[in-house]
Amino acid sequence: MDTAVPNPAVVVSGVRKVFNRGATNQVDALIDIDFTVQRGEFVSLIGPSGCGKSTLLRLIADLIEPTDGTLVVNGKPAHQARLDQDYGIASQHSGLFDWRTVERNIELPLELKGWDKSRRRARSAEMLALVKLSEFATHMPWQLSGGMQQRVAIARALAAHAELLLMDEPFGALDEMTREHMQAELLRICSETGTTVVFVTHSIPEAVYLADRVVVMSPRPGRITAMVDVGLGRDRSELTREATEFFDRVTEVREALRGTHVGDPIMGVDDR
Amino acid sequence: MSARVRKLVMFPVAFAFVAAAWEGYKAIGPANGGRLLGMRLLPRTNSRTMPHVWEMVSRLGRPEVRGGKQTILSVVTAATWYSFRVAFTAFVIGAVLGVAVAVLMARFRLVERGLMPYLIMSQTVPIIVLGPLIIGLMAYGSRDLVSKTWIAATLLGVFLAFFPVAVATLRGLQSTPPASMELMDSLASPWWRTLSKLRFPAAVPFIAPSLRIAGASAVVGVVVAEISLGIRAGVGRLILSYGQEATSDPPKLYTAVFGAAALGLVMALVVAVIDRQMMRRHPPEGV
Repeated sequence: MDTAVPNPAVVVSGVRKVFNRGATNQVDALIDIDFTVQRGEFVSLIGPSGCGKSTLLRLIADLIEPTDGTLVVNGKPAHQARLDQDYGIASQHSGLFDWRTVERNIELPLELKGWDKSRRRARSAEMLALVKLSEFATHMPWQLSGGMQQRVAIARALAAHAELLLMDEPFGALDEMTREHMQAELLRICSETGTTVVFVTHSIPEAVYLADRVVVMSPRPGRITAMVDVGLGRDRSELTREATEFFDRVTEVREALRGTHVGDPIMGVDDR
Repeated sequence: MSARVRKLVMFPVAFAFVAAAWEGYKAIGPANGGRLLGMRLLPRTNSRTMPHVWEMVSRLGRPEVRGGKQTILSVVTAATWYSFRVAFTAFVIGAVLGVAVAVLMARFRLVERGLMPYLIMSQTVPIIVLGPLIIGLMAYGSRDLVSKTWIAATLLGVFLAFFPVAVATLRGLQSTPPASMELMDSLASPWWRTLSKLRFPAAVPFIAPSLRIAGASAVVGVVVAEISLGIRAGVGRLILSYGQEATSDPPKLYTAVFGAAALGLVMALVVAVIDRQMMRRHPPEGV
């Protein structure tokens, strides 16, 4: 990864987030968050439940505002990046609209961008081919399996040529087999499109398998305690999951997590 | 047997049951009524109070008045058709108004806070009082009462129909899944586009059943208005005037009741079709 690229995808500097500030139920969710995601990089955010990793993702998405600090996405303030639809988002609950066909779900961001119908249809067909669901274009979402629905959600997130994909435990509700398949699919899609990904997960193997870099966070108040460079290269397959380096990185991430939690079992982190 | 065929068969079967129950009670019940738990509860079964089913049906085929040309069937049908048009107009206006009010309330929290108590209160007013009140207000400065009474009946139907739609639509608009709202936010969707693309379609499963209630309410409002205002053309008026002939011509009253029942049925059927059309893109129950 060439870290000298002048225009990173995401720059988070000095970010702090406090919920219910000044109230009795004030929560310090995030403090001292500084990190950068380079273009084309795949970064996993991992940490125990409630460490604020989803909050951090939503800050990058400009769905909530930081208490302190700045977020720069695609070289502009996060707010402007959201207005420009510079990123796509996908979460555990795929959030597909029940009343729209698969293709019309994918076309939703394009409708909001004001694309005309034929251009939208062409793009959704392209995206469906990318996620290998072309024959399901006119199905309703509830006729598809969970894994297929997630693929539609990814297609929707990338439809408007977003170069940045923000994912919040997108495969959390899937069974293990489907999940591994989806991870491989996601890597393939990213390498075909050159997409940058920020991926929130609580599964250590998932974080390591997918990412170039794993950002490890501490329990509340969330802060970044370690960055683990995975260094497994971009060609990953089912064999990667059985490689010694893979296990070494998993151990490294696990120890980084444990360091934040001496003596305690790690709550909410999935060791599978 | 497919579900559709079964429904078609069940319809006349249900009618037969009601007719059989009627005739059954008539055969065994006390002719001059009876007491139950010390109260006069059991209806009389004599033919003045409970004519035979076939007497009522055959009455439909005879003239409305002795020596008249029009059969009672055509008179009741015409009156029912008139009432249906008024009730359906009331239903449509009420539903549109209900949705509009709900959208306003969803958009402006202040409107919701300010309007909701009045909406709830409005439904506690006895409708029988409202008819003359509306007429009174409309008649102010206008002598042309007769041609305007149907407007009063429509207003009353609207008044009853819009409430369930407004409440259900508001609940539906407020039940949008937060994840979907966030998705629209991430797409920088303006409020009204989030409404048309997400919140309103997501509210349809709330709105559709409320239309059934609205349809029934519109019928009640219109028939009650017809009775209390004495609108000549409607089926409500027929119930009133045939009721006055109940001693000399008992089956006649029931022909008007048939008309009112048919009115309710047709409305329910029309609303069911609308409901199905609205829900055709949504997942079937249990998916």
